[in-house]
Amino acid sequence: MRILLVEDDTGLQDSLAGILREAGYAVDVSGDGIEGLFFGEEYPLDLAIIDLGLPGLPGLDVIRKLREREKQFPILILTARSEWQDKVEGLESGADDYMTKPFHPEELKARVGALLRRSAGIAQPVIEFGPFKIDLASQRVHKDELEIELTTYEYKVFEYMLMHPDEVVTKTALSEHIYAEDADRDSNVIEVFVGRLRRKIDPQGLMNPIETLRGRGYRLNMQPQSS
Amino acid sequence: MVKSGAHKKSPVSLRLRLILLAALVVAISLGLVGLVLDAAFHDSSEADLRARMESLVYLVLAATEVGVGGSLSVQDDPGDPRLGQPGSGIYAQVHGEQDQWASPSSLGVSLPVLPSIEPGETRFLVPDAKIGFYTFRYGVAFELPDERLLPVTVTILASPQEHELEVQIFRAGMSRSLGAVGVILVLAQLLFLSLGLRPLRRISRDIAGIESGNLQRIEDGYPMELDPLIRNLNHLLDTEKANQARYSNALDSLAHSLKTPLSVIRSSLPADTAARSDAVEHAVSDMQHLIATRLQRAAASTRRTMAQAVDVKAQVDRLIQSLARVYSQDLINIAGIIEPELAFYGEQRDLLELVGNLLDNACKYGGGQVRLSARALDPADPRAGLSLQVEDNGPGIAKGESEQLLRRGVRGDERAEGHGLGLAIVLEIVSAYNGEITIKESDLGGTSVSVLLRTR
Repeated sequence: MRILLVEDDTGLQDSLAGILREAGYAVDVSGDGIEGLFFGEEYPLDLAIIDLGLPGLPGLDVIRKLREREKQFPILILTARSEWQDKVEGLESGADDYMTKPFHPEELKARVGALLRRSAGIAQPVIEFGPFKIDLASQRVHKDELEIELTTYEYKVFEYMLMHPDEVVTKTALSEHIYAEDADRDSNVIEVFVGRLRRKIDPQGLMNPIETLRGRGYRLNMQPQSS
Repeated sequence: MVKSGAHKKSPVSLRLRLILLAALVVAISLGLVGLVLDAAFHDSSEADLRARMESLVYLVLAATEVGVGGSLSVQDDPGDPRLGQPGSGIYAQVHGEQDQWASPSSLGVSLPVLPSIEPGETRFLVPDAKIGFYTFRYGVAFELPDERLLPVTVTILASPQEHELEVQIFRAGMSRSLGAVGVILVLAQLLFLSLGLRPLRRISRDIAGIESGNLQRIEDGYPMELDPLIRNLNHLLDTEKANQARYSNALDSLAHSLKTPLSVIRSSLPADTAARSDAVEHAVSDMQHLIATRLQRAAASTRRTMAQAVDVKAQVDRLIQSLARVYSQDLINIAGIIEPELAFYGEQRDLLELVGNLLDNACKYGGGQVRLSARALDPADPRAGLSLQVEDNGPGIAKGESEQLLRRGVRGDERAEGHGLGLAIVLEIVSAYNGEITIKESDLGGTSVSVLLRTR
């Protein structure tokens, strides 16, 4: 999942980007409202974390303009202004949640996870489908109570497909959502990730949980069920 | 200690003061005018009487004849019918050396006996205790054939009743006239007052408009005498607004500049909780708590004296919509039961902060049902304050814990996210509004937090 972080304090920006990357997200960063708006409009994002006090363009205006341009990804406000007046204004401008500084990194990860799940229409952090149980919070995947060890990118591919259960996911989309903008991308690598993922979650090849649609992309072959 | 205003005698209104003062001035002025006019009429009337009495003297003298031996004889009708009519009020006496004469009008009237006066002398006397008549006396000397001079005194006496009647008639007429003038003057004063005080009533209306939020400042178009006052009032309002904005901005900047480094410290701590320094974590939490509560209290203490009315329902609806967005996945139902047109005469930010924190807590710790009730503290006085109640259907708070919960920074439920600051901030605001807070069990099954805010 790809997240845009717009925060002008470079210390906090580095620290938060590190925490989010460690949590398995692809993170684009900006320290400026105008650049942040450009990234928000141009990149295929799954979520944006936007500080309110930004140079260039205030955070509230960035959020309003993104919503005006029909960008539907969830937006989490990060603000030092803890008053409800500011929170209400932020939420009225189109944000989905707010976090006031200082915060626990765990709380940030929890909010981000909850917003991503909410935008995918998943209520609980644990998804079950067939013999699989995926804990989105701890990023663990179990099959018949046995944990399957996945690499970060294998997990990212699996999670993205779980979040888009009824869609045909192209290799480009997968590439765009699991890599940040400045990363080297190679769509052939996606095929490798999907191949390895299939072998790990369905070693016998009996279930075919990830279906290949020739020339179009991949589709989850089962309907996930939130537990 | 400041005494309650209820025991003070309410000051007399400016209008009443001016009316009373004007009426007093009119009454004194008209009274003095009456006295002066009365004295003038009295003097004029007496002068007129004297002139008439003097002319009667000449009539009597003309009717007087002196015999060779010095005897006096006066015709009984000297030429004025009142001298011939008994009890007419005008009497004449002539005194010679041996004889004396009295006019027929004095028949049956007891007249005073007056001494003769020297020839050539005239005396005019007003009634006194001894002589109850106006008296005009004239001394003459008739030359007898033997060249001897016969001194004769002619006395005209006039009853004061006629003069008093004239004065009374004059006084009655004057009183009516002065009374009418007084009424006209008082009515004119009322009109002047009404016109003169109209700008003050307009200022009062404008200030009420500012209080109710319909106006931002006092409008122009006042008489030039009030211009400096209006300018200064508007300046005061602008300065207060600017000061408050500056203060609020300063607090925001302070919060921002402190919270961001705290975020950096907190997010830089090792993720492994075992390795995390508890001391640093506690220090960060304490600093966060101090910033949130102290800044909030400082902001709350900037309550303006001329607070505008805040539409409670509109603000609560904003909060409910915002919270519904944040808790959209938790299917929380927030019901707002708010008196129509309920207004809060305090700071909008304080209302949002208080209700926001209470509703947020109810959403976090409740079971999905949240109810907010709001009504005026005193239905007869909308400015007195607000009574708010936020209830939920959560597990509630155990008895004895509510007092502990009301202590600053104590978390009611460690399960939910947050820093236990919500209720602490609520307490700061309740304290700033001299209010009260109580926690009890709700009929929804969970907690009921009741808050009273006083805005008088």
